[in-house]
Amino acid sequence: MSKTTLLITIAFIVSIGVAVFSTNTNTDYQFLKRQLKVSHVLHNTNKVLPNFSLVDHNQHLFNNDRFKGKWTLLTFIYTHCPDVCPTILMDMSMLKSILIQRGVETVPEFVAITFDPKRDTPEVLKTYITHFDKDFLGVSGDQTQIDQLIKPFGTYYERSIEVDGKTVIIPNGQAMPESVTSYSINHTAWLYLISPDGEIFAGFPTPHKPHNMADDIELLISNY
Amino acid sequence: MKRILISVVLIFQISLVHAMDHQKLSAIVIHDPWIRTAPPNAPMLGLFMKIRNNTNQDIRLVSVQATGYVRAELHRTINHNGIMKMQKQSFMPISAQGDLDLKPGSWHIMLIGPEIVPKEGDTSMIYLEFNNGTTQTIHVQVGKGKIMMKHNHYTY
Repeated sequence: MSKTTLLITIAFIVSIGVAVFSTNTNTDYQFLKRQLKVSHVLHNTNKVLPNFSLVDHNQHLFNNDRFKGKWTLLTFIYTHCPDVCPTILMDMSMLKSILIQRGVETVPEFVAITFDPKRDTPEVLKTYITHFDKDFLGVSGDQTQIDQLIKPFGTYYERSIEVDGKTVIIPNGQAMPESVTSYSINHTAWLYLISPDGEIFAGFPTPHKPHNMADDIELLISNY
Repeated sequence: MKRILISVVLIFQISLVHAMDHQKLSAIVIHDPWIRTAPPNAPMLGLFMKIRNNTNQDIRLVSVQATGYVRAELHRTINHNGIMKMQKQSFMPISAQGDLDLKPGSWHIMLIGPEIVPKEGDTSMIYLEFNNGTTQTIHVQVGKGKIMMKHNHYTY
């Protein structure tokens, strides 16, 4: 083999290697995305969760480390929600049953963080969340930290109050009038799959279809 | 002969009145009502059903009362660009010869402030008031929805 041929061969092999490497890093699970039924890959190394320090319904510290080394299915709820949040939690309960029935190797931990820590104390959450599944975990804590935590998820909420028969919206972060004791919360209703590296890996928009979600979760975890 | 004629007319009138009453009673039919089972500390519960309007007039459900709760409100959940918004309604429209489905994520009745959160299988008494002057009282069982709907079929 001539020196020129050898150089061309090496250059070819290197270019193939570079191409494969760029495909794997730049396309971000393109192949996986095409197979998903009801979820979206949200993996983005630039979107890092802020440091947070909350409290779970057993009064234990719930911080970034609690996402490490295991898969977590996370959502945001509030217990005064009569419709959307109970539906999410019932869907999560059904999803967990489906995954267990299938005998999958990895069943994520199910966690619900409240939008409304003022009313949803750890004690309130414990009674409420474990009604749907004894192993579900509710998380409460400081409102400001929760408001920071939801940002990289793209999660949004706002409070809705009634003043003289008219609906008034209080955006997230804005203080409510002290006289207000009754309010509801408008909010996004996604579920999020958190990877064992503690990063947002995928999201499931509403409405949730537990059987299809189970298919996607199996696929997402096996291709991580 | 005169007595027989009067009796026939009376029987006819009674039958007519009964038929009219029956028609009035079945003008609105409630199918498969259910209250969703909730945690023991739930501050509110959702009530769902299908309302059938058998008349040729649009009808509105204008008021709901529920025994054992502080109050009941008419609500609708709307998905507005991915944000689930709970909107209180002053009425629920049931079109002529049409149905209105009250179901999770859509139209629903919010039962607020239960004295004691009912358990699965318990029943609550619900009063529905429509704008055509009719009212209905239904006994609604607490359950998980789909399973209940196979077994219950309420008509009034």
